[in-house]
Amino acid sequence: MPLYDQDSNVWEGVMNESDISVLLVDDDEIILECIGAYLEDEGFTMHYSDSGEAALKSIAAINPVVCITDMRLSGMNGEAFICKAHAICPNTGYLLHTGMAYSPSNELLSIGMTAADVFQKPMHEFSTLTDRIKAIARAGRMCNGT
Amino acid sequence: MRFIRLTIIFSILITVLASYGHGDGSVVDGNHTIVRLGLEQDMPLAFINKNGNPSGIMAAAIFFAILLTFITTTLVLRVTVRRRTVELEQEIEVHKQTAKSLEKSEKELRNILVVNEDLKKSLSGILDTLPSIIARIDRDGRVDLVNRRFEQFSGVSAAAARGMLLESLIPHFTPQLQQVSEVIDRRTPVSCERIQQRSGKELSFFSLQIYPLNEEESGMAVIRIDDITEHVRIEEMIYRTEKMTMIGGLAAGMAHEINNPLGAIMQHSQNIERRVSPSISANVKAAEEVGVSLNLVRAYMEKREIFQFISHIRTAGERASTIISNMLHYSRRSESRTETARLSDVLNRVLELAATDYDMKKSYDFRRIELVRDFAADMPPVNMTVLEMEQVFLIILKNSAQAMTGAGHGRTPCITLRTRTDNGMAAIDIEDNGPGMDEATRLRIFEPFFSTREVGEGSGLGLSVAYAIVTKGHHGTIEAWSQQGDGCRFTIRIPMYGRA
Repeated sequence: MPLYDQDSNVWEGVMNESDISVLLVDDDEIILECIGAYLEDEGFTMHYSDSGEAALKSIAAINPVVCITDMRLSGMNGEAFICKAHAICPNTGYLLHTGMAYSPSNELLSIGMTAADVFQKPMHEFSTLTDRIKAIARAGRMCNGT
Repeated sequence: MRFIRLTIIFSILITVLASYGHGDGSVVDGNHTIVRLGLEQDMPLAFINKNGNPSGIMAAAIFFAILLTFITTTLVLRVTVRRRTVELEQEIEVHKQTAKSLEKSEKELRNILVVNEDLKKSLSGILDTLPSIIARIDRDGRVDLVNRRFEQFSGVSAAAARGMLLESLIPHFTPQLQQVSEVIDRRTPVSCERIQQRSGKELSFFSLQIYPLNEEESGMAVIRIDDITEHVRIEEMIYRTEKMTMIGGLAAGMAHEINNPLGAIMQHSQNIERRVSPSISANVKAAEEVGVSLNLVRAYMEKREIFQFISHIRTAGERASTIISNMLHYSRRSESRTETARLSDVLNRVLELAATDYDMKKSYDFRRIELVRDFAADMPPVNMTVLEMEQVFLIILKNSAQAMTGAGHGRTPCITLRTRTDNGMAAIDIEDNGPGMDEATRLRIFEPFFSTREVGEGSGLGLSVAYAIVTKGHHGTIEAWSQQGDGCRFTIRIPMYGRA
């Protein structure tokens, strides 16, 4: 999936949101729907999964720019999922959505996650999430560009 | 003796017979011979013939008689003496034996006395060693014996206490001591637990037992009093810890369960607002498809205050989410991890938290307190469990705020927060200009359940929790400096790079 297409008449340096694919993992359907709706409205290309196990099967094909997962999933938890998914898609940026007070574990820190990648539930303001997604995409593009 | 008498009588008889045979037997006064005979008594006998001279045959007879008597007597005496000697010797032997056994019993008696004295000593030693306050009293409650601990507790010496009414020595326990006579009568012990005693701000707990003395009809009772304050405190601490853990678990579980629906409410209200926004091309396209103008839809919603409702749904959701996050604040510990963080960030966040803390708002207004931030610019990030250290700072800030609210000392209440490096440690000072505290309070401030507030206000756990977090959780130190009337400063030091 091209991050930047010269034919699409996009001003250089600004990416098209639809070029940013996001995989959202949550076992709560309503959460999938409401976060998904927001991010869709933002223009991101959305993919959904209701468990870590299912997401691990589909992630290779999607190779998302960003993957957002809930911490408490019905099967493996978000932390374990990120570690496994990172092995499959190391260029994907991972964000953790949690209801608990949480700071990234050493495993997550070692794959480059920071406290800024952890989002507290309930999310009062989506703009921080979209800003973070865009920042990851931009960093990834810079990475790919060089 | 009998033999001697018989011998004498016999010899007298012989002598008399002899004198009758050879003379007229008249006894005449005049010259006479006195012959002493016998061993025990004098027997003056005069043997006189007609001529005044004893005749030869008579004299021989008498002599032989006397000799015979003498020999017989001597023999008999000798036998008697010998027997007597044996008897005496036996008697002496018996006496010796008696004396010996007497001596032995005396020794034994002395030993018993020594043992008795030892027993008495060790018994009172045991009584004095026991941490219990012990007194023996009679039915009327008069003291008869007390141990050392009793002396210390009542401030009255054992000698002075003797004969006094126990109630007058330990008046705090008067209600419990009313049962003494009943205990003695019924011969069943009575136990009173958790008797509360207040001295100043301190609350102590005692247990008191009354035992009937285990002797027949002694009419005495033994009182045993124990200071169980520490015991009760530990018990309460365990109880509270368990309660807090339970509440924490409940809060965490509830928060997690509520967060998702709450998030859906808030996020979907946001989604609704966005889905009628003309700035999103998908909205315009969808409106066109169904043949309505997005602007007209918005105008209608505006007119019917639907946007306002949506915004209120969001506000209400946010309020609920604040309550949830406050609740989570108490259950965070389970998921806390050490991380490196800037102390200035942590302190700023704590100040924000303090300003919104419901408890703090209720009793005093944190916003009225002037805050001075004196953060070292070159302070490197410090390794800590942020959530725990936040709690520590919050506890201290709360304490300061409370202290300053209570006292109207005329100054503007002010709290200074300072960070600095101190011998490789990160040091944080939290200083207030409140009323401070006296030395006795300062020394006990980190003890669990020590509270200067009224009973029921505050658990008295706050600073002890802070102490545990800093010393056990972070291998640091926490100290309080204060002068009565001149503010208070808490200094916390934690290793800059985590556990050494």
